[in-house]
Amino acid sequence: MKRAMFVALAMTLGSAVAAPFVYPAAWTAEQNTANKRGGEFRNYTISDFKSINPFTDAEAVSIPGTLEAGAGLFIQDPRNDELIPYMAEGAPVVSNGGRRFVVKIRPGMKFSDGQAITADDWITTYRIHTDDKVGSNSYDNFFLSKKPITVRKIDNSTLQFDFPQPSAKALVLMSYTPWPDHIFGAAYRSGGAEAVKRLWTLGTPANQIVSPGMWTLESYQAGERTVLKKNPYWGEWNKDSRGQALPYLDRYSYRVTTDLNAALAAYLAGQIDTFAPRNADDLAQIKRAIDGGNLKATLLPNVSPQAQSQWITFNWNKASDPDKQRLFRDVRFRRAMSHIANRQAMVQLALGGLGSENYYSVYPIFKNYISDAAPKYRYDLAQATRLLSQIGYTRKNAQGYLVNNAGKVLEFNLSTNAGNTVREQLGRIFADEAKKVGVKVNFTPIDFNNLVGQLTAKGENRPFDAILLGLSGGDNIWPFGQNTVPCGGNLHSYNNPTNGACLTPQESLMTKLYYQGDATLNVAQRRNIGAQLLKAEAELQPVIYLVGGNFHVTFNERLGGEHPRELMDAYYGARNIALTFIK
Amino acid sequence: MIPFLLRRALQAIPTLLLASVLIFFVISLAPGDFLTPAKLNPNISPEQIANLERSFGLDRPVWQQYFLWLGNMLRGDFGLSFQYQQPVLGVIWPRIVNSLWLVLLITVIFYAVSIPLGVFGAVRQNSLGDKSVNVVLYFLLGFPSFFIALIVLYFIVQARFATGWDIPIGGMRSENHAELSPLAQALDIARHLIIPALILAITDAAGLTRVIRGQMLEVMRSDYIRTARAKGVSERTAIWKHTFRNAILPIVAGIGGTLPGLIGGAGFIEVVFAYPGITPMLLNAINTQDLYLIAGFTMITTVLLIIGNAISDILLAVVDPRVSVS
Repeated sequence: MKRAMFVALAMTLGSAVAAPFVYPAAWTAEQNTANKRGGEFRNYTISDFKSINPFTDAEAVSIPGTLEAGAGLFIQDPRNDELIPYMAEGAPVVSNGGRRFVVKIRPGMKFSDGQAITADDWITTYRIHTDDKVGSNSYDNFFLSKKPITVRKIDNSTLQFDFPQPSAKALVLMSYTPWPDHIFGAAYRSGGAEAVKRLWTLGTPANQIVSPGMWTLESYQAGERTVLKKNPYWGEWNKDSRGQALPYLDRYSYRVTTDLNAALAAYLAGQIDTFAPRNADDLAQIKRAIDGGNLKATLLPNVSPQAQSQWITFNWNKASDPDKQRLFRDVRFRRAMSHIANRQAMVQLALGGLGSENYYSVYPIFKNYISDAAPKYRYDLAQATRLLSQIGYTRKNAQGYLVNNAGKVLEFNLSTNAGNTVREQLGRIFADEAKKVGVKVNFTPIDFNNLVGQLTAKGENRPFDAILLGLSGGDNIWPFGQNTVPCGGNLHSYNNPTNGACLTPQESLMTKLYYQGDATLNVAQRRNIGAQLLKAEAELQPVIYLVGGNFHVTFNERLGGEHPRELMDAYYGARNIALTFIK
Repeated sequence: MIPFLLRRALQAIPTLLLASVLIFFVISLAPGDFLTPAKLNPNISPEQIANLERSFGLDRPVWQQYFLWLGNMLRGDFGLSFQYQQPVLGVIWPRIVNSLWLVLLITVIFYAVSIPLGVFGAVRQNSLGDKSVNVVLYFLLGFPSFFIALIVLYFIVQARFATGWDIPIGGMRSENHAELSPLAQALDIARHLIIPALILAITDAAGLTRVIRGQMLEVMRSDYIRTARAKGVSERTAIWKHTFRNAILPIVAGIGGTLPGLIGGAGFIEVVFAYPGITPMLLNAINTQDLYLIAGFTMITTVLLIIGNAISDILLAVVDPRVSVS
């Protein structure tokens, strides 16, 4: 009897005292010691939302994406990039050579409608994302090298993930947002993929939307404004370092401003709380408004490089023009091209001085993966001339262009997407510098879709010489692109023959290192592999990296609780919205 | 009247068919498709792109896509928007309604400005007033309206700084709109509408004012006006009843053409003023090649154009006794 009492007591205690997740005090530069609550964070977005359905959503900024804030088994700590248990109660139990992860779910979590979040929600979400009839954007996150990741339910609060191979990003891939089984699972079981796709369109009343995260939908006005309100149950398991429930804010809203000049005007007029300055003009206008006393705001230019790069790639598959093919495949030629790229001028002229020079496929923002062992072929016209003469271009013709012994002029076509003013300027600068050493670059901006078609073409004779384009996105866990680095990837832009095979030993090495690093769970070992990969890539110079823009931060003085300056960057952003409050 | 309408309806069928072929194939012939940007995304696998192509029907030949679309349209289904993943009509309807309010206000201001100014210019030809109106209008004629809108935005922000008044700078409703009384809500929307409407109506009125002025001058010099004046009708009757009524015939003939414009939105001004009309959405659809959204919307405007032309002809018969619809 006594023992039964004790067991019953222990059980009630166990469920009542579910440990909350505590946000470290170090994540905010400004402690909310007075526990200020309420108010609205007024954000903006440049295109109207298209859907509320998390399974069909494909936007960069979206309603489901916002509902996902504050959900996921693990989150990254901006201080050291480490993944820490979040919706998971603790670290996963790893077995089977780093391929099996058993995760306990933090007890006491609820959706915004008050229903408990259980293992079923993760299972259903995984099933729907991996149904190819749904067409979910997260489909790829459940496959590794085309082999599926499987998710099983052990009991209501335990999940088992089985990976086909060890993966550096395992914890990230496991951290997908669980959507309510009692809504999506019910629809999926009765009507399949079609029923799921019909749920949660923009016409769905806001009170029918159920969120696992910090926010839930309050109202949506097409093309105008979307307001989210705090999920009352989320604060039960999310606390600040003093034990107060989060978020402090009541509301989070988006105003739709298609035109960024209009967004800037709204920011200057104090109608929105933040803005992402694009260029020197924007920064100057904001600074003027602050100096004139019309706007009370913080302005921090050049906080970090953006996670983006612009580059030039040369086509190695030009069966129709063997001379050009030989030239583009010659590493000395490509290094010469890197010496021609006047990155400093590009930052000054095309980006108004607000940018960073890039030399590698890893963006400069991911500092942990940039090592000095990898060479940089900096702007040096004399060195470019030397390299080109080694290839056989020693004389110049009457027009001042280099010719080889056969009298063939050193020239190639370079294209970029028309209408992108920055890239058009970069191409112009590159062509002008090339002319100085006698290389004829025929630079023509063309239609974006044609350009993508050319770049992603496969075969022995692909329809371009050189393309100037940019990429963005990626993470700091393994910051090499799965479509770009390994041979055969559709963005392996310089060499993409029909069979997708590597041409050079360096490519084979890079492919090997890519998969090796991707399968290494130990961070230090992975960074070491990354350094080798970076070095191989830099020496091969298959793609000439140029410049990337910088990330600037500005926000209205109403807001408190932003990241400390050293944690702010383009990857982690300026603030954790949960710790943001209105002063 | 009834036979006239029937005839028009019959004539509309081949027109619409031809229009649908043109619309669909012109959009489809553009390089790339909705999924092209996804090919540049380092995180989307080729398998996933092929999978999406299947689900959007983009892997089929264009003619098959066309017939599928046409067949669905006959049943009133304009297809699914790729971006929104929901039926086209549901996506564009709220935007059309928003645009309609703005366009109606613009139309009212447009005629209220251009008719009096045009008539005034004709009656007081070459007076100081006429000349100064002409100078201003020519000036406006040379500026694109969205550019003026950007300048106006700049001045609004400066005015807000200087006075602290809450002058709306874009959007359609204030943030506290939901809490207002119905009357205050209507006023709130009107406040947001008036600035873009004024900018667009006045810049557009420049053209029509010149046309009305020219038409009026031409009619005023005709014999029957001289006869009317000789008969002793008052100046007012001579201008408004005899001259104006004849002068606006060409404008009435063109009114039908403005009907698609009513749902076509107010153009770039909607973009600049972050107004939730049809234009920002349509531009987005064109940029992302959201095939069925563009095609569906264009089909609807084509239908309206045909209806508008029929209305024009009926109106013309009403104002011009020489014309009859039968």
